[in-house]
Amino acid sequence: MKWSVDIQGTLSPLKILGAFFQKPNTIAYPTVKKATATGYRGFHTNLLTDCIGCANCQDVCMNNAIDMVKTDQEYNAKNASQCIPRIDYGRCCWCSLCTDVCPPDSLKLEDDYINVTKYASDFLYMPKNKE
Amino acid sequence: MSNKHITIFHGPQHPGITGNMSVELDLIGETIQKATTHVGYLHRGFEKLVERRTVIQAFTIVCRICVPEPDPNEANFAMAVEELAGLEVTPRAEYIRVMVLELSRLAAQFLWMAGQSGSIGLYAVGQWAIADRDLILDLFEELTGARVYHMYIYPGGVRRDLPEGFLGRVSTLLNYMKKRLKEYDDVFINNASFKNRAIGVGVISQEEAIANGYVGQVLRACGVEADVRKDAPYLVYESLDFKVPTQTAGDVYARALVRRAEMDQSVHILEQVVKMMPEGEVMIKMPTHRKFKLPKDDTWVKVESARGEFAYYMAGDGSEKIRRMQVRGPSLVHAYTLLESLLVGAELSDVALIMNSLGICPPEIER
Repeated sequence: MKWSVDIQGTLSPLKILGAFFQKPNTIAYPTVKKATATGYRGFHTNLLTDCIGCANCQDVCMNNAIDMVKTDQEYNAKNASQCIPRIDYGRCCWCSLCTDVCPPDSLKLEDDYINVTKYASDFLYMPKNKE
Repeated sequence: MSNKHITIFHGPQHPGITGNMSVELDLIGETIQKATTHVGYLHRGFEKLVERRTVIQAFTIVCRICVPEPDPNEANFAMAVEELAGLEVTPRAEYIRVMVLELSRLAAQFLWMAGQSGSIGLYAVGQWAIADRDLILDLFEELTGARVYHMYIYPGGVRRDLPEGFLGRVSTLLNYMKKRLKEYDDVFINNASFKNRAIGVGVISQEEAIANGYVGQVLRACGVEADVRKDAPYLVYESLDFKVPTQTAGDVYARALVRRAEMDQSVHILEQVVKMMPEGEVMIKMPTHRKFKLPKDDTWVKVESARGEFAYYMAGDGSEKIRRMQVRGPSLVHAYTLLESLLVGAELSDVALIMNSLGICPPEIER
C-alpha cells in the first residue's frame, strides 16, 4: 500500500462538519412518532357483517398462519361455516394474499402494527371487527 | 511481525457483508496465505420450498432471497411465470416495475456505501447512507405497504396502483438525491483515506473476470461494458436513455466509482420514468388469479440487479406448482472463486473492504 499526499482528498471530507448545522434525520421517538403510510401492511381487521367464513384466506396462507375458529361474536347471516379467521402472528409474513383473495373484501390490513404483550398466546390474534 | 502461521475465522458476523458468511483465513503476520469461504449460516431452502407451494404462495418467499434488494427476485419470478403462462403485462405496470427496480437499486447502493465506508471506519458516511436509504424505504412503504420485503411485483402486473401524488414525491426525492450524491463524493469517494485504502487493492484482470463469469460492478470495473438492461433489455429499458459506467483499473476503488456512477444513472432513469409514466391498468384481468397453471415447459429469465446479472430458471409441469426453480445470482461465484483467490496476499485489514466491494449476498448462495 502506498500513501501519497492528496490535499483535496484530505480537505474535502471536512465538509462533513457542515452536518453539525443541519437538522437531524432521526426523530425523538417515542415523544415524536412517524405517521405510518396509508396502506401499510399492519394488523388484520375483519368486518364480521361481511365475512362469509369461506376460508379462502386460510387456504391461500402458505405459512398456515390462519385458522378458522368459532367465537361468541355475532356473524353475518351468510356465514355458512359460522367460523372466522384467527391470525397467528408468530407465523404471518404480512404478504396480504389473504386480503387479496377475500371474496367480500371483509379482511383487510390496518396501519397499526404495534402489539406489546407478555403472553405468547397473544400472538393468536382475532382481527378487529371494523372496516 | 512474527512468521507464525495462524488460522482465524473472519465472520460469520462482520462489516464486510450483508448476511452471515465466514471466511477462514490462514495468516502469516497480517498477510493472508489462504482463504476458504464457509457458508451455511442462512440456509432456508428457497428453491425446495417453492416446489411445494402453489405459484402465488411461492411469490411471497422469493423476495427473501436477498435482503438488500428483494425486487430483482420478484421481477424475475413474475417474468418467468408470465413467460411460461403466456401473460402480457400492461405498459403502466412495466413502467412501475422499472421504477421499483431502480429505487431498489438506489437503496441497495446506499446500503453498499454504508458497508464499504464502515469497513474502513468512516462511520459518518454509513449513517448518512442509511438515513438516505430510509427516504427510499418511505416511498416503498407508501407504494407497496412494506419497507423491505415488498411483495409487490406480481405475475401479471403489480399489486397496487400508484398512490395519489406519488410521482411528485419521487421527483422531490430525486432532486434531493442529485444534490446529496455530490456530498458523498466529497466525504467518501474523493476522500484521501478511502482512496489510499482502495486503490490497487483487490485487483481483478479483465481476462480473469470474463473467464470466470464475474458480473456486475466486478466486471464493469475491468472495462467490460456488460449490463443486462442493455444487452438483453427487459421491461421498458430499451426505450430509456442511460449509460453503462465502466472503469479499467479493476480494483476496489474502480468498483466504488462504477457503483457511484450507477447511482447517477438510476436517478436519470427514474426521472425519465416519472415523465413517461403511462395511464392504464396495473394488473391484467385474470379470472382465477389464485390458480396459475404453468404448462410443461421451462424458461430462463434475467435482470440486472444492483450487484450484477441475476437469473432464474423455472420449469412448470402442468400443475399449480412450480416443478423447479433455480436462482443464479452473482454471489456464489464471487464468494467462492473470486474472494478466495483475491484474498491471497491481501492484508487482514482489507478483508472487509474487498468483500464488500464484490457485492456478495450470502442468502442467495444458500438459496
